[in-house]
Amino acid sequence: MTAPARALGRSDLHEVRSAAWLGLALGLAFGTCFLTGLWSHLAQHPPSWFTYPARPAGLYRITQGVHVASGTAAIPLLLAKLWVVHPHLFAWPPARSLLHGVERLALVPLVGGGLFLVVSGTLNLAHWYPWSFFFPRAHFWAAWLTIGALVVHVGAKAAATRDAVRRTPRGAPGVVRTTAGDRRAFLGGVAATSLGLVVATAGGTLPALDRVSVLAQRRRGVGPQGVPVNKSAASARVVDAARDPGYRLTVEGAVGRRLTLGLDDLRALPPREAELPIACVEGWSASARWRGVPVRDLLALAGAAPGAEATVESLQPSGLYRAADLNADHAADPDTLLALELDGEPLDIDHGFPVRLIGPNRPGVMQTKWVSRVVVREERPA
Amino acid sequence: MSDGGRPALPETTSRRGLLVGLALGLPVIGYGVRGALVDAGATHPPELARWIVGTAVVHDLVLVPAALGIAGAARRLTPPRAWPPVRVGLIASGVLGLVAWPFVRGYGDDPTNPSLFPRDYAGGLGAALVVVWLAVALWLSGRQARQFHLRRHARPPETRAVAHPDGPGEEPSREG
Repeated sequence: MTAPARALGRSDLHEVRSAAWLGLALGLAFGTCFLTGLWSHLAQHPPSWFTYPARPAGLYRITQGVHVASGTAAIPLLLAKLWVVHPHLFAWPPARSLLHGVERLALVPLVGGGLFLVVSGTLNLAHWYPWSFFFPRAHFWAAWLTIGALVVHVGAKAAATRDAVRRTPRGAPGVVRTTAGDRRAFLGGVAATSLGLVVATAGGTLPALDRVSVLAQRRRGVGPQGVPVNKSAASARVVDAARDPGYRLTVEGAVGRRLTLGLDDLRALPPREAELPIACVEGWSASARWRGVPVRDLLALAGAAPGAEATVESLQPSGLYRAADLNADHAADPDTLLALELDGEPLDIDHGFPVRLIGPNRPGVMQTKWVSRVVVREERPA
Repeated sequence: MSDGGRPALPETTSRRGLLVGLALGLPVIGYGVRGALVDAGATHPPELARWIVGTAVVHDLVLVPAALGIAGAARRLTPPRAWPPVRVGLIASGVLGLVAWPFVRGYGDDPTNPSLFPRDYAGGLGAALVVVWLAVALWLSGRQARQFHLRRHARPPETRAVAHPDGPGEEPSREG
């Protein structure tokens, strides 16, 4: 037991083996969460060297489900890890050397960043934003900060962690056995809590868990036409514009001829049906049968060049998600639709009536609703 | 710069590993900080910094002392043998309560979107806590039964080594 732990006179859990096992589990959870988060970022803000693929269609629902589940699983692990090492917080002197001071200083972004990521992520699931910054960007940059600090920490502790998990318990009977049993109970309990928390929240991703996911943000089948909605027409302030009988969809930009189509014109075009999931960045997803006009047919009708890209814009007067890009891969996919129907009925206004974008392997926020304009480009914008 | 003969780094820190970690990790930290600063219109750096430091401070100065207080009080009320399962019950209850809290309070509710938060979260939290404490009770009764079994079949003290196959003769070494 460390001197500070002894000074605090408490349990035997403040020791290196618990810290090592929790550290390994936490590294796995944070690493998974970071990579899947990065994937979602690449989908929404692709750099010039990256083409976000349109296939497989259900990939994003998996990566984002894993992102939220691994972040949720990290909560008990992180709290337990901090609990185990907490006595070291009061170590005196605070730094034994310059290098030790640097090591400890790097714990500020590690601990603060890690806690901020799980707190802000959870509050985002609760749609509660008690801050003024824009959650996705703050969460994204804080993740880089945290992962950088994690790399420093892993470098410093990898050898000790390896030794600690390899070492077989030795020592006098009684003392060590009790401690080992105690630790196993503690670590097992934390692991069970972690798993239980995922089960209690992941029902939006895994339908089998729907009934037991008592804390899930969504419920299977609850929503207009039995499909959940992220943002309602009322809160996007599009109700009047969407219901306007004079609604027109325009296809313009790098086209041979500009198209202006009413709802009846769109219904008269050859339709296509596709079973595709809506997969929200917040982890839930729901499959539905969509019917509408393939974007590639519209682009062909407008005389756009093969391999064209497009921006799909909404009637929404404002908001960061009022428009979404279709790269050449997505624009050319036959299942990327401007949908008019959901499960055989006209779209509910909360699902984007009169027309919404729905395509394979896209983040939900890029499945633009209440579509009014498609702007075609020959090349990706700089 | 070591103090009184103590090594310059804790025994769990590898000097070489730390240096490699700093070489690889500091640029990543720098990338994150630079990104937040360049993106200041969205990230509001002063407020973001307050949140990052603030969550750590609240954790260390509020959450941990509160957990210590609760754990201390509960431990006094719990027979020593029952403590490990009870402690896990408290951990699970605390985590569930913290995560469920914004859902139970409905801070993010949007009355125009009935598909959002369609559950009874207070009831759900209650059910989850019942499950946790049922599991703790089950665990306790399992421990109790094992103890009873061991005591009935235990032979005189000199054969205790059977229950502790590590055997005597080694220096007591406590980890950490």
